Amino acid sequence: MSRLGIFVDRKTLSSAEQLNALIRCRDAAESMDHSVEFIFPGDIKKIPQMDALFIRARTDPMNVTYVASRTASSSGIPVIDDPSSIQICSDKINMYCHLKKHGVAIPPTEFLSKKEMSPSAIRDLFERMGSPLVLKEPSTSFSLRVEKVRDASEFQRVARRFIRMSDWIVVQGFVESRYDWRIGVLDGEMIYACMYTIPSDTFKIQDSVNGHVVYCGVESIPPGDVPGEVIRLGIDAANAIGDGLYGVDIKNSNGDACVIEVNDNPSLEGGEDSLYPQVYEKIISYLLER
Amino acid sequence: MSTVLSRESIHLVERDDTVHVVAEEYFYKTESYYTILSHEIHGIPVAPGSSAVLDAYIVPLCLERAGSAGIPVADCTISHSCAQYPAVLYGLNYFASSSEYSVVRDSARGKETVRHITNNGKYPLCYQRLAEGENIEGHVAIFGKSCPEDDDIRGYARSLYEVFGIPLVTMVYVRGEDGARLSSLAPTRYSSLSNAEKTLLRAYITHQEFL
Repeated sequence: MSRLGIFVDRKTLSSAEQLNALIRCRDAAESMDHSVEFIFPGDIKKIPQMDALFIRARTDPMNVTYVASRTASSSGIPVIDDPSSIQICSDKINMYCHLKKHGVAIPPTEFLSKKEMSPSAIRDLFERMGSPLVLKEPSTSFSLRVEKVRDASEFQRVARRFIRMSDWIVVQGFVESRYDWRIGVLDGEMIYACMYTIPSDTFKIQDSVNGHVVYCGVESIPPGDVPGEVIRLGIDAANAIGDGLYGVDIKNSNGDACVIEVNDNPSLEGGEDSLYPQVYEKIISYLLER
Repeated sequence: MSTVLSRESIHLVERDDTVHVVAEEYFYKTESYYTILSHEIHGIPVAPGSSAVLDAYIVPLCLERAGSAGIPVADCTISHSCAQYPAVLYGLNYFASSSEYSVVRDSARGKETVRHITNNGKYPLCYQRLAEGENIEGHVAIFGKSCPEDDDIRGYARSLYEVFGIPLVTMVYVRGEDGARLSSLAPTRYSSLSNAEKTLLRAYITHQEFL
């Protein structure tokens, strides 16, 4: 019997869906004869006593999840998400650099630094990349700091806001689609697939429309219904980051699939894996039985 | 090569087949961080590394790595509250900086400080217990060289440079009867350097540090 630590914080426990997902994970581990301990930020010193660590809290190199991950890693304990995956996936500059380096298809993407931002640089970006463009603050999650801009004045207004949080920002060509594929990849293999249907009044998976938060629809899709090129691209993108657990978002509206982003710590509480009942068993096997 | 140490200027120094990035600070998502990252992505040896600077500015990780290198470090506890005072408190969240610490001597002031640092309990903090009479002191290290009279601090500066590879850093120590214990590593404004430190840094930037 091995001990699995599941790192959580108050926010992880704040929704019924998250709690259900944690319970499913615990039940899966116990059915495999492993014990489970939930580890909160104040218990971080317990991590070296575990045999593996599964982080289920929002990861970022600047928060306590990174301390948990580094603590596990430096103690030689298998961990999802590993520190390198957190560092790369939490920062879209770093993530797109890795995808470009490995030749993974992404939309036209450039980076703009604070010191380079000027009216002529912005004009030049529109001329080369077309309109609209999508601006992203590198550490955004759930599309919070992702905005579509159609002209130079909109670009400047949004970029100024993002540049306060990061010295570099992402400038990307807009890819129209009403849904994203999400391919869940563990250790180079697809372990689930789903579709996120984008709400009709926005281009993001989550947005505030007229003061109301609108969420994407989630539909788990059986492997046979997922285009082969989407699966291959998802696996290639995940492999460009590492060998852990990733949720790869892909647009494939015109048959020319491209990766929108690779997420470490992918959500599993929204029904993403409902047609893939073995997901937690696979994660636990990866952590404790390799 | 410019040796003007103006605010936010970044200097690239090539030594021993490695590009050394000299900057006032190396925070996540800053120009200096992305300068380091660009070199790493292109396979160019660079110091410090991007993961080293993340570790250096996150207090518990900094102390873990420094302690493993034999440097005396302060005991550090991660919590949502501080159990004992006096103590030095650091935030542990997206908005925290290792250069912003609070020395709190009593629980009355501690409550307010904890509320502020944790954003009303939303994020954890880390605290280091201080014994009565212990104080905090800072020393600048430039390419592992530091100029205090204390031999120990000079040795720790060398060791910290070997661990993190940061050319310009402020070492924050807890000074007690038994000597100094590392509390954190923090960024260093060029404007805060003494004339001797500026001269030493410029010498490194112009490859004349041997003079």
